Amino acid sequence: MGAGIESLCAFHAGERYVTEPTFEPSGVDATLRALLADVLGLGEERAAALTDDSGLFGELPEFDSMAVATVLTEMEDRLGIIIDDDEIDGEIFETYGNLLAFSLRKVNG
Amino acid sequence: MAEHLFRIAPSGASRATILFVPPLFDEANRLRRTLVLAMRALAAEGYAAVLPDLPGQNESLIALEDVDLECWRDALAEVAAGIDGPVVIASIRGGALIDHRAEAAAWWRLAPVGGAPLLRTMLRARVTADREAGIESSLESLQAAARDAPLLLAGNALSPAMVSQLGAAEAQPVAPLRAIGLGADGIAGTPLWLRAEPGEDAAMAAAIAADIAAWSKTCGIS
Repeated sequence: MGAGIESLCAFHAGERYVTEPTFEPSGVDATLRALLADVLGLGEERAAALTDDSGLFGELPEFDSMAVATVLTEMEDRLGIIIDDDEIDGEIFETYGNLLAFSLRKVNG
Repeated sequence: MAEHLFRIAPSGASRATILFVPPLFDEANRLRRTLVLAMRALAAEGYAAVLPDLPGQNESLIALEDVDLECWRDALAEVAAGIDGPVVIASIRGGALIDHRAEAAAWWRLAPVGGAPLLRTMLRARVTADREAGIESSLESLQAAARDAPLLLAGNALSPAMVSQLGAAEAQPVAPLRAIGLGADGIAGTPLWLRAEPGEDAAMAAAIAADIAAWSKTCGIS
Protein backbone atom coordinates (compact mmCIF):
# COMPACT_ATOMS: atom_id res chain seq x y z
CA MET A 1 0.00 0.00 0.00
CA GLY A 2 1.01 3.60 -0.04
CA ALA A 3 1.74 3.41 -3.75
CA GLY A 4 -0.66 6.26 -4.34
CA ILE A 5 1.86 8.91 -3.48
CA GLU A 6 5.02 7.26 -4.76
CA SER A 7 5.56 9.53 -7.69
CA LEU A 8 5.17 12.72 -5.71
CA CYS A 9 8.89 12.25 -5.33
CA ALA A 10 12.40 13.44 -6.37
CA PHE A 11 14.43 15.85 -4.33
CA HIS A 12 14.79 19.51 -5.19
CA ALA A 13 18.34 20.50 -4.42
CA GLY A 14 17.54 24.20 -4.31
CA GLU A 15 14.87 23.77 -1.66
CA ARG A 16 15.77 25.26 1.71
CA TYR A 17 14.03 25.27 5.02
CA VAL A 18 12.40 28.27 6.55
CA THR A 19 12.58 26.87 10.07
CA GLU A 20 12.71 29.61 12.64
CA PRO A 21 12.42 27.95 16.01
CA THR A 22 14.87 25.07 16.35
CA PHE A 23 12.97 21.99 17.39
CA GLU A 24 14.38 19.37 19.69
CA PRO A 25 13.72 15.87 18.31
CA SER A 26 11.25 15.31 21.16
CA GLY A 27 9.45 18.52 20.14
CA VAL A 28 9.09 17.31 16.56
CA ASP A 29 7.81 13.96 17.81
CA ALA A 30 5.23 15.60 20.09
CA THR A 31 4.14 18.03 17.36
CA LEU A 32 3.71 15.21 14.88
CA ARG A 33 1.68 13.04 17.27
CA ALA A 34 -0.60 15.97 18.12
CA LEU A 35 -1.04 16.71 14.44
CA LEU A 36 -1.97 13.12 13.59
CA ALA A 37 -4.37 13.07 16.53
CA ASP A 38 -6.05 16.23 15.20
CA VAL A 39 -6.31 15.13 11.58
CA LEU A 40 -7.14 11.47 12.13
CA GLY A 41 -9.15 11.95 15.31
CA LEU A 42 -6.98 9.38 17.07
CA GLY A 43 -7.36 10.73 20.57
CA GLU A 44 -4.38 11.27 22.85
CA GLU A 45 -3.99 7.63 23.85
CA ARG A 46 -3.82 6.19 20.36
CA ALA A 47 -1.52 9.01 19.25
CA ALA A 48 0.80 8.39 22.22
CA ALA A 49 0.84 4.66 21.47
CA LEU A 50 2.19 5.11 17.91
CA THR A 51 5.56 3.42 17.49
CA ASP A 52 8.11 3.69 14.68
CA ASP A 53 6.54 0.60 13.11
CA SER A 54 2.93 1.79 13.29
CA GLY A 55 1.42 1.77 9.82
CA LEU A 56 -0.24 4.95 8.54
CA PHE A 57 -1.39 5.34 4.91
CA GLY A 58 -3.09 2.15 3.84
CA GLU A 59 -3.37 0.85 7.36
CA LEU A 60 -5.41 3.47 9.22
CA PRO A 61 -8.80 3.72 7.50
CA GLU A 62 -9.01 7.45 8.31
CA PHE A 63 -5.80 8.10 6.39
CA ASP A 64 -7.22 8.87 2.94
CA SER A 65 -5.85 11.18 0.26
CA MET A 66 -7.43 14.25 1.87
CA ALA A 67 -5.87 13.32 5.21
CA VAL A 68 -2.44 12.93 3.57
CA ALA A 69 -2.84 16.41 2.07
CA THR A 70 -4.01 17.89 5.36
CA VAL A 71 -1.11 16.33 7.26
CA LEU A 72 1.41 17.82 4.80
CA THR A 73 -0.03 21.32 5.05
CA GLU A 74 -0.24 21.13 8.85
CA MET A 75 3.38 19.88 9.03
CA GLU A 76 4.42 22.98 7.11
CA ASP A 77 2.44 25.21 9.41
CA ARG A 78 3.35 23.68 12.77
CA LEU A 79 6.98 22.71 12.08
CA GLY A 80 7.74 25.88 10.11
CA ILE A 81 8.96 23.98 7.05
CA ILE A 82 8.16 24.07 3.35
CA ILE A 83 7.57 20.69 1.74
CA ASP A 84 8.05 20.44 -1.97
CA ASP A 85 5.65 17.79 -3.12
CA ASP A 86 8.38 16.40 -5.35
CA GLU A 87 10.29 15.22 -2.30
CA ILE A 88 7.44 13.13 -0.94
CA ASP A 89 7.43 9.45 -1.75
CA GLY A 90 5.07 6.71 -0.68
CA GLU A 91 7.46 5.44 1.99
CA ILE A 92 7.12 8.56 4.09
CA PHE A 93 3.54 7.73 4.96
CA GLU A 94 4.07 3.99 5.36
CA THR A 95 4.96 4.15 9.04
CA TYR A 96 5.08 6.66 11.84
CA GLY A 97 8.86 6.16 12.08
CA ASN A 98 9.30 7.14 8.44
CA LEU A 99 7.19 10.24 8.83
CA LEU A 100 9.11 11.26 11.94
CA ALA A 101 12.48 10.72 10.25
CA PHE A 102 11.36 12.83 7.26
CA SER A 103 10.15 15.59 9.59
CA LEU A 104 13.43 15.62 11.55
CA ARG A 105 15.40 15.85 8.29
CA LYS A 106 13.30 18.79 7.17
CA VAL A 107 13.43 20.61 10.49
CA ASN A 108 17.16 20.19 10.96
CA GLY A 109 18.08 20.86 7.36
CA MET B 1 -31.61 36.50 -2.65
CA ALA B 2 -32.83 32.97 -3.12
CA GLU B 3 -30.42 31.18 -0.81
CA HIS B 4 -31.48 29.38 2.33
CA LEU B 5 -30.50 30.76 5.65
CA PHE B 6 -30.45 28.79 8.88
CA ARG B 7 -31.49 30.97 11.79
CA ILE B 8 -31.91 30.13 15.46
CA ALA B 9 -33.87 32.80 17.29
CA PRO B 10 -33.94 33.45 21.05
CA SER B 11 -37.30 33.06 22.79
CA GLY B 12 -37.69 36.82 23.33
CA ALA B 13 -36.34 39.87 21.52
CA SER B 14 -32.78 39.39 20.30
CA ARG B 15 -29.89 41.49 21.65
CA ALA B 16 -28.02 41.23 18.38
CA THR B 17 -27.53 38.80 15.51
CA ILE B 18 -24.43 36.66 15.28
CA LEU B 19 -23.79 36.00 11.59
CA PHE B 20 -21.61 32.91 11.18
CA VAL B 21 -19.26 32.50 8.25
CA PRO B 22 -18.12 28.88 8.39
CA PRO B 23 -14.83 27.53 7.04
CA LEU B 24 -14.70 26.97 3.28
CA PHE B 25 -15.38 23.75 1.33
CA ASP B 26 -14.99 20.44 3.20
CA GLU B 27 -13.89 22.16 6.38
CA ALA B 28 -17.38 23.64 6.74
CA ASN B 29 -18.95 20.18 6.88
CA ARG B 30 -16.54 18.99 9.53
CA LEU B 31 -17.36 21.90 11.82
CA ARG B 32 -21.07 22.29 11.09
CA ARG B 33 -22.50 20.31 14.00
CA THR B 34 -20.30 22.09 16.52
CA LEU B 35 -21.17 25.48 15.00
CA VAL B 36 -24.87 24.76 15.25
CA LEU B 37 -24.40 23.78 18.91
CA ALA B 38 -22.70 27.17 19.42
CA MET B 39 -25.66 28.85 17.68
CA ARG B 40 -28.10 27.16 20.06
CA ALA B 41 -26.02 28.28 23.05
CA LEU B 42 -26.05 31.86 21.75
CA ALA B 43 -29.81 31.76 21.26
CA ALA B 44 -30.16 30.65 24.89
CA GLU B 45 -28.24 33.82 25.82
CA GLY B 46 -30.62 36.02 23.87
CA TYR B 47 -28.80 36.32 20.54
CA ALA B 48 -30.17 35.41 17.15
CA ALA B 49 -27.69 33.20 15.28
CA VAL B 50 -27.60 32.94 11.51
CA LEU B 51 -25.76 30.49 9.26
CA PRO B 52 -26.33 31.43 5.61
CA ASP B 53 -25.88 29.35 2.48
CA LEU B 54 -23.87 31.41 0.01
CA PRO B 55 -24.30 30.84 -3.74
CA GLY B 56 -22.88 27.44 -4.69
CA GLN B 57 -22.94 26.10 -1.12
CA ASN B 58 -25.22 23.46 0.41
CA GLU B 59 -28.79 23.85 -0.89
CA SER B 60 -27.97 26.61 -3.37
CA LEU B 61 -29.33 26.17 -6.90
CA ILE B 62 -26.24 27.87 -8.29
CA ALA B 63 -23.35 25.61 -9.28
CA LEU B 64 -20.17 25.99 -7.24
CA GLU B 65 -18.17 26.37 -10.44
CA ASP B 66 -20.13 29.55 -11.25
CA VAL B 67 -19.04 31.44 -8.14
CA ASP B 68 -15.84 32.79 -6.62
CA LEU B 69 -14.72 34.56 -3.43
CA GLU B 70 -15.79 37.97 -4.75
CA CYS B 71 -19.29 36.64 -5.27
CA TRP B 72 -19.32 35.24 -1.72
CA ARG B 73 -18.15 38.59 -0.28
CA ASP B 74 -21.03 40.34 -2.04
CA ALA B 75 -23.56 37.70 -1.02
CA LEU B 76 -22.49 37.87 2.62
CA ALA B 77 -22.75 41.68 2.56
CA GLU B 78 -26.28 41.28 1.25
CA VAL B 79 -27.19 38.83 4.04
CA ALA B 80 -25.78 41.23 6.67
CA ALA B 81 -27.64 44.19 5.16
CA GLY B 82 -30.90 42.26 5.41
CA ILE B 83 -30.60 41.74 9.18
CA ASP B 84 -32.38 44.15 11.55
CA GLY B 85 -30.39 45.39 14.53
CA PRO B 86 -26.69 45.05 15.33
CA VAL B 87 -24.73 42.30 13.59
CA VAL B 88 -21.60 40.57 14.87
CA ILE B 89 -19.82 38.54 12.20
CA ALA B 90 -18.22 35.34 13.49
CA SER B 91 -16.00 33.72 10.90
CA ILE B 92 -13.91 30.59 11.16
CA ARG B 93 -10.81 29.64 9.16
CA GLY B 94 -11.33 30.53 5.48
CA GLY B 95 -14.58 32.29 6.37
CA ALA B 96 -12.33 35.19 7.38
CA LEU B 97 -11.37 35.60 3.71
CA ILE B 98 -14.87 36.73 2.75
CA ASP B 99 -16.18 38.60 5.81
CA HIS B 100 -14.87 42.15 5.29
CA ARG B 101 -17.27 43.54 2.70
CA ALA B 102 -20.30 43.07 4.96
CA GLU B 103 -21.17 45.86 7.37
CA ALA B 104 -21.17 44.84 11.01
CA ALA B 105 -20.86 46.27 14.51
CA ALA B 106 -18.00 43.86 15.31
CA TRP B 107 -16.05 40.91 13.93
CA TRP B 108 -14.85 37.75 15.65
CA ARG B 109 -12.49 35.35 13.86
CA LEU B 110 -11.49 31.87 14.98
CA ALA B 111 -8.23 30.46 13.58
CA PRO B 112 -8.24 32.60 10.43
CA VAL B 113 -6.19 31.13 7.60
CA GLY B 114 -4.89 32.37 4.24
CA GLY B 115 -6.32 30.99 1.02
CA ALA B 116 -3.02 29.58 -0.25
CA PRO B 117 -2.71 26.73 2.29
CA LEU B 118 -6.39 25.81 1.75
CA LEU B 119 -5.84 25.60 -2.01
CA ARG B 120 -2.57 23.72 -1.58
CA THR B 121 -4.23 21.09 0.60
CA MET B 122 -7.00 20.52 -1.94
CA LEU B 123 -4.51 20.33 -4.80
CA ARG B 124 -2.42 17.84 -2.85
CA ALA B 125 -5.45 15.67 -2.14
CA ARG B 126 -6.23 15.62 -5.87
CA VAL B 127 -2.64 14.71 -6.79
CA THR B 128 -2.64 11.90 -4.21
CA ALA B 129 -6.00 10.57 -5.43
CA ASP B 130 -4.83 10.84 -9.06
CA ARG B 131 -1.73 8.78 -8.22
CA GLU B 132 -3.84 6.04 -6.71
CA ALA B 133 -5.89 6.00 -9.91
CA GLY B 134 -2.70 5.80 -11.98
CA ILE B 135 -3.08 9.32 -13.37
CA GLU B 136 -0.07 11.60 -13.66
CA SER B 137 -0.65 15.07 -12.17
CA SER B 138 1.17 17.69 -10.14
CA LEU B 139 0.34 20.88 -8.30
CA GLU B 140 1.73 22.81 -11.27
CA SER B 141 -0.17 20.88 -13.95
CA LEU B 142 -3.44 21.20 -12.02
CA GLN B 143 -2.98 24.92 -11.52
CA ALA B 144 -2.19 25.36 -15.20
CA ALA B 145 -5.36 23.44 -16.11
CA ALA B 146 -7.34 25.63 -13.71
CA ARG B 147 -6.46 28.77 -15.66
CA ASP B 148 -9.14 28.20 -18.29
CA ALA B 149 -11.49 25.48 -17.04
CA PRO B 150 -13.11 24.50 -13.74
CA LEU B 151 -10.93 22.19 -11.66
CA LEU B 152 -12.38 19.37 -9.57
CA LEU B 153 -10.68 19.36 -6.16
CA ALA B 154 -11.86 16.97 -3.46
CA GLY B 155 -15.35 16.97 -4.94
CA ASN B 156 -15.49 20.74 -5.43
CA ALA B 157 -15.60 22.13 -8.98
CA LEU B 158 -13.69 25.39 -8.66
CA SER B 159 -13.80 28.07 -11.34
CA PRO B 160 -10.60 29.64 -12.69
CA ALA B 161 -11.53 32.82 -10.79
CA MET B 162 -12.08 30.87 -7.58
CA VAL B 163 -8.71 29.12 -7.86
CA SER B 164 -6.79 32.32 -8.57
CA GLN B 165 -8.59 34.35 -5.89
CA LEU B 166 -8.16 31.60 -3.32
CA GLY B 167 -4.44 31.30 -4.03
CA ALA B 168 -3.94 34.97 -3.18
CA ALA B 169 -6.60 35.56 -0.51
CA GLU B 170 -5.66 36.87 2.93
CA ALA B 171 -7.96 37.97 5.73
CA GLN B 172 -8.49 41.73 5.44
CA PRO B 173 -8.39 44.24 8.30
CA VAL B 174 -11.75 44.91 9.96
CA ALA B 175 -12.60 46.70 13.21
CA PRO B 176 -13.43 46.11 15.94
CA LEU B 177 -11.99 42.60 15.63
CA ARG B 178 -11.23 39.81 18.07
CA ALA B 179 -9.07 37.16 16.43
CA ILE B 180 -8.61 34.03 18.51
CA GLY B 181 -6.95 30.66 18.07
CA LEU B 182 -7.30 27.29 19.74
CA GLY B 183 -5.47 26.29 22.89
CA ALA B 184 -4.65 27.55 26.36
CA ASP B 185 -5.02 31.26 25.53
CA GLY B 186 -7.84 30.75 23.04
CA ILE B 187 -10.77 28.42 22.57
CA ALA B 188 -10.23 25.07 24.30
CA GLY B 189 -10.79 22.36 21.73
CA THR B 190 -9.30 20.55 18.76
CA PRO B 191 -9.28 21.71 15.12
CA LEU B 192 -12.35 19.72 14.07
CA TRP B 193 -12.12 21.31 10.60
CA LEU B 194 -9.03 19.19 9.93
CA ARG B 195 -10.61 15.87 10.92
CA ALA B 196 -10.76 13.15 8.32
CA GLU B 197 -14.08 12.10 9.82
CA PRO B 198 -16.62 14.58 11.18
CA GLY B 199 -16.93 14.88 14.93
CA GLU B 200 -18.54 17.27 17.36
CA ASP B 201 -17.45 18.93 20.54
CA ALA B 202 -20.10 20.36 22.86
CA ALA B 203 -17.57 21.92 25.23
CA MET B 204 -15.87 23.69 22.34
CA ALA B 205 -19.24 24.94 21.09
CA ALA B 206 -20.00 26.36 24.54
CA ALA B 207 -16.58 28.06 24.62
CA ILE B 208 -17.18 29.58 21.18
CA ALA B 209 -20.57 30.92 22.20
CA ALA B 210 -19.27 32.34 25.49
CA ASP B 211 -16.35 34.07 23.79
CA ILE B 212 -18.55 35.63 21.11
CA ALA B 213 -21.07 36.83 23.71
CA ALA B 214 -18.28 38.36 25.83
CA TRP B 215 -16.76 40.10 22.79
CA SER B 216 -20.16 41.39 21.78
CA LYS B 217 -20.61 42.93 25.24
CA THR B 218 -17.09 44.41 25.15
CA CYS B 219 -18.10 46.14 21.93
CA GLY B 220 -21.11 47.62 23.64
CA ILE B 221 -23.61 45.34 21.92
CA SER B 222 -25.95 43.85 24.45
